[in-house]
This record gives sequence, structure tokens and C-alpha cells, in this order.
Amino acid sequence: MKFQIDRDAFLAGLQQVQHVVSTRTTLPILSNVLIQATDGMLRLTTTDLDVGVSVSVKANVEEDGSTTLPARRLVTIIRELPSTEIQIDIDADNAASIRCGPSFFKILGLNSEEFPPPPDLEGAREFTIPQKLLKDSLKKTSYAISTDETRYVLNGINCSFKNNTLIMVATDGRRLAMVESEVEFPAGNEVDVIIPTKAVNELQRLLKEDGGDLRMRVTDNQVTFELNNSHLYSKRIEGNYPNYRQVIPGAPNHRINLEREVLLNAVHRVSLLASDKSNSVKLRFEEDQLQISANSPEIGEASETLAINYKGSPMSIAFNPEFTMAPLRNLDQDTVYLDLIDEMSPGVFKIDEPFLYVIMPMRVSH
Amino acid sequence: MGRIIHVDMDCFYAAIELRERPELEGLPVAVGGGSRGVLTTCNYVARTFGCRSAMPVFQAKRLCPDLVLLPVRFELYREESRIIRGIFHEFTDRVEPLSLDEAYLDVTGLRSEAFLIASEIRQRIRERTGLAASAGIGPNKFLAKLASDWRKPDGQFEIRPEEVEAFMPGLPVERLWGVGSRTAARLHALGVRTCGDLQRLGLVELDRQFGRFGSLLHEMCRGIDHRLVDPNRERKSVSSEETFAADLSRRETGLERLGLLLDEVASMCQAKHVDRVIREGFVKLKFSDFTQTTAQRPMPTVVREDFEALLKEAWDRGQGRAVRLIGAGVRFQSRNDAVDRETQLDLFGAGDPIL
Repeated sequence: MKFQIDRDAFLAGLQQVQHVVSTRTTLPILSNVLIQATDGMLRLTTTDLDVGVSVSVKANVEEDGSTTLPARRLVTIIRELPSTEIQIDIDADNAASIRCGPSFFKILGLNSEEFPPPPDLEGAREFTIPQKLLKDSLKKTSYAISTDETRYVLNGINCSFKNNTLIMVATDGRRLAMVESEVEFPAGNEVDVIIPTKAVNELQRLLKEDGGDLRMRVTDNQVTFELNNSHLYSKRIEGNYPNYRQVIPGAPNHRINLEREVLLNAVHRVSLLASDKSNSVKLRFEEDQLQISANSPEIGEASETLAINYKGSPMSIAFNPEFTMAPLRNLDQDTVYLDLIDEMSPGVFKIDEPFLYVIMPMRVSH
Repeated sequence: MGRIIHVDMDCFYAAIELRERPELEGLPVAVGGGSRGVLTTCNYVARTFGCRSAMPVFQAKRLCPDLVLLPVRFELYREESRIIRGIFHEFTDRVEPLSLDEAYLDVTGLRSEAFLIASEIRQRIRERTGLAASAGIGPNKFLAKLASDWRKPDGQFEIRPEEVEAFMPGLPVERLWGVGSRTAARLHALGVRTCGDLQRLGLVELDRQFGRFGSLLHEMCRGIDHRLVDPNRERKSVSSEETFAADLSRRETGLERLGLLLDEVASMCQAKHVDRVIREGFVKLKFSDFTQTTAQRPMPTVVREDFEALLKEAWDRGQGRAVRLIGAGVRFQSRNDAVDRETQLDLFGAGDPIL
């Protein structure tokens, strides 16, 4: 196997796949990137057995073939090479000779036949989704994914395809983010699939704002994405996602219009006086004003008052500051609406698009 | 290379009771009984008759008619545990208690040899409490725990890093964490009886057979364990589960099996975690199609009726599917939560269908 390739194109390709490389040292081949050369293209693939990514980059292939090389080491070498033209030859023992200007490297690889094969996509349901839509939806939901491994069905985003609608939901049991979008697909394709966190992170790296449509495929145990010359495949999280419909509150007693950035900055400042022991901010609504406050018995207190339009009876509610700021940071609308029932019921942030964020309050005893 | 010590008290509660009543020395003694009617723990004499913790009292009496059954005195055991933890901290602050009578110590980088530290610890425990402890020393937590069983009771054993490669192949797979009778049977069917046999299976193959657990097996059979000793780690839950050789289709059979699991959970809570506050109980079912569901509700102790209701609730969610696994357990309140003045409320509450 033999090819010439542009340094920057090679590096960009390797960097797209290197995050998946396994940290498990017990199966060395998972630390390697699979390199397959054919038809003027190099295909670069990495996997940790749960998630796999592959990208294609242009190359001048003189001799077809495949091998695997240690991914992280290869990236550090390619990044440092002195000129843009690289020549790589792989011998029958999977040793790679890398020549670039005056530099020469020889690195030892492993036989590509030992690299785990890609999943079988026989009988997959297929969906076509605009990249911008998915990128936007992931941004609005992924921060709410649970990191608690004992609640493993929550360690991902649930995608529900039904009635030409895609509903994406993430929750950690204390807050829940949901985006609804129109996507066309045949009625027989209706499916619910939980995409694991690691795949969500990789997907966010691969998605381009100005990219075209991507193709998503779902089999019984795999979910894959094909976009911009790359493939992402991942195991699905097995199990049933909780019935999130039942936790979305009904009609609110109050709807409050808030300026997103003003609220975000105020909560952020006040939260500087929250602490591990006392991790809440209190929102007190009175006529035409909102007072945000925090106090920690051994540290001190902070408060900030915002002018708002509020005519209801005075009420207070306490939230975890991080849970309050997360959606505000990841939205771009100027105005958000906060729907409230009472101090013990979930609050809901909404915008003028099909999005909502349910947040459970904190019960504070005095 | 790390140096970890696993210290495990021998028959902790029974040993304390025997110290208090030397006249019982040499007799079969158990601690337990009470409303649940099961043994919390028993001494080695009783074990030679076949008595075990979590065993119903009537059964233990049948095996050993002369068994002396003593009531549990948690306050006393907690105090002894506090003294023993104090001894650990004389050597290092990297102490991770697993329960009242068991802990990991990370002694990496200490000047003395780990083996000598372990014998010094056991010596001090004996001097100050009159109790016997066993210890295991190894390059990681998994091997240290394995080693502490080797010279039990009142002994210690070290697996040195350079011995791991020779030591592991002969170890039966049943000794690995998480390998119960069902997994063992599946491994036997693959011709795997020892860790050496297991080492010959590739990671890809193990992953295909056992999913996520496969990669853990792949590491454990080589004596690899990346977990660190974490002084702040606290156990979140205690549970017990059973995978059935043939799937259960009748709820009544499920209720019978649940009773045995609850005995185990209750005696683990009593034997090891009496210092913790129970927050809620849960019942997990795995169905024949490998989907699973968990029902849970707040409860202050192991309440049998509540667990039975949880089992019925979860069972009905299966809509007629047969059940291949039942798990039951309790989740503890975090030690930090106990002193907090504020509580984050949960969206799904206690009756959530799957969590």
C-alpha cells in the first residue's frame, strides 16, 4: 500500500476520528486508526466497540491496501511534519514509512484484518435530516443528558420518529429539554432510539451548519449517521426511555417574559454566592420585578433585581443555578418565557419555537 | 504500579459478641433473628455446620441445633468500626470504606512495604479491639480483594505485580466479580472454566457474548483494574438479583423468589451498612426480550409488602412477557444529603416506570 497525501487534509481527517480511539489498553488495535486506500481516497476509521467513526480524505493512491496505525502517535507526527507533501508506504508487515521533505519516520502498525468490522445495517430504517436542524436540536438538548450511570437509559438523547415529527429529549430526572421538528419519512419507519452520549458528542463534531442533508439509519441495536464524507455508528442504548410526556406540566398560573441574556448574567452573578452545601438560587416575583438571590450560611449572600412585567401575586421558587443557566446559554432567542405553577411544581422555559425545558425546583427548608 | 491493601474483618459482628462473652468461645454462634428471622452473620464454628448469613433462623437451627443466637447490637458494632477506621488513617488518608467491616487503603508511595503495613494494621486492630482481620495486598483493588480471601481468617496474602501473570490463569472464573452461577454456566458452555481459558477469548468475542460486561471480563481475567481508591466514594445502593435458568411466567413464582432476594438485601444492610439511611426500595425485572423495567418507591427499611407491590407493578408492565431476571434492592440517602437544608426535587417522582 502506497499513497501521497496533503498534510493538512490528512491531519484534518485524523483529528475527526481520533476522539473515538479507545483508552482500553488491553486490545491494542482499538488504539489504532484503520486506513484503507482505494480509488484516490483514504478511508480513516476508529472505534472503541461502542462508537465508531470513519471519514474519507482525498489522496493520490499508487497502490491499494489497508493497515492500522497507532492513532494518537500518527496525529502528533503528521502535525509536526515540515512540508505539505507526505509520502507513505506500508510494507507487508504493516510497518509504515512516512517521508516528508527531509524527515523520515517508520512506525509499526497492526494487521487490518484484526480491526472490528463495521455493523451490519441489513433491514435498517432510514431517515433524511438536514444537518442544521440536527445540530441545532442537539445543542438545545444535549446539556440535559444524565451522567449518572445507574440511570443508563438517560445517558443519551431519545429520538422519537412519529407522524412525520422528530422529538428529541434529554433528561437527568431533574430537568428535561425537548425539541420537536418536522421530518418526512414513510409511516412504517416510526421508531424510538436512544443515542448514547459519546455518539452525541461525536456527531456534534461532525455536523456542519451549512452542510446538506444527512442520512440516519436505525437497526435493532445500532444507529448510524452518514454525512460530509463521514460515517458515525454507535450501539443504541437498550431499554425504554421514561414517559416524558407525563412530566410536562399543564396550564401555568404565571407566564413571565424574560430577556434571555439579562437573566443569564444575573443568575450567573448571584450564583457566585451559592456553594456545595447551599446550591440554589431563589427567584422572587413581585409586581413588575424579579429578585434573584443566593446565600450560603458560612460565606455570605448576593441578590440582583430585574425589572420585568409581572402582575400576579408574589411568589418565590428556588432552582439549581446550573440547571437554570444551561438552557439560557444554549438558546439564541432574545426572549424566553418562564411558565410557573407554584413553588413546588416544575417550571418551564419556552421560546417561540417548538422547544421546552422543564426544571424541577429545589425545596429549601429554613 | 499501585499498592492497595484490602482489609476485611473476620465475622465482624459475631467476633465482637464473642469478645464480650468469652464463655461462648468454641460454640457455634450467630447474630440475627429479630423480626426478619434471618442470620445477619455467624462465626466460623457455625459455618462448619453450613450456616450462612441471610439464612432463615429455622433452617440454621435445623443444620446446627446447638446454635447460639444473639440479638444484634448495632451501636456497639458502629463504635468498633470507628476505632478500626481510625487505625487506617494512622497510615494513610487514602482510605475507601466499603462497609462497616471492610476497606481499601492506597499505600502507594509509602516508605514501608505494603505487606508490613498490612500486618501492622492487623496487629493494631487486635491490640485495640481484640478482633481478627484478614488483609490482601495487590497492585489494584480487584487483586487486593481477591488476595484477602486467600488466608482468611486472621491471615494475609500478597499478589505482587510480577506474580499476576502466573497467578491469574489458574483462577476459576467464579472468583471474578459479577460472575454468578448463570454467567459461569454460559462461560462453561464456551469451554471456559479458568481465567486462563478466558484470556484466550478476544475482546470482540466477549463483547458479542456479554455486551459491556465482556470488556470488564477481558480486563479482570488479566488482573487489570483501573479503579482508584476514592476516600469520598460512598455506596449508593445494595441489591441482589437472580437470573433464572428458565424464564418465569407466573407472578406468584416471582413473588416467592423475591422473598429470598429480600432476605439477602436486608441482611446485607444490617451486616454491612447499618450506618446508612435507606431512601427508597426498587425492584428490577428483565423480560424474555431483554427489555427491562424498574419500579421504586420511598421506604425507610426493607418493607416486604412494599416490595411485593413493586414487583406486581413491574410485572404488569411486562404485559405478559416472561421474566428472566429479578433484582431487588435499596438506595441509600447520600451522607451529604442527610445534612443538607435543601433538596432537589425529582421530575419523575417515586413512581416512574423505568428509573
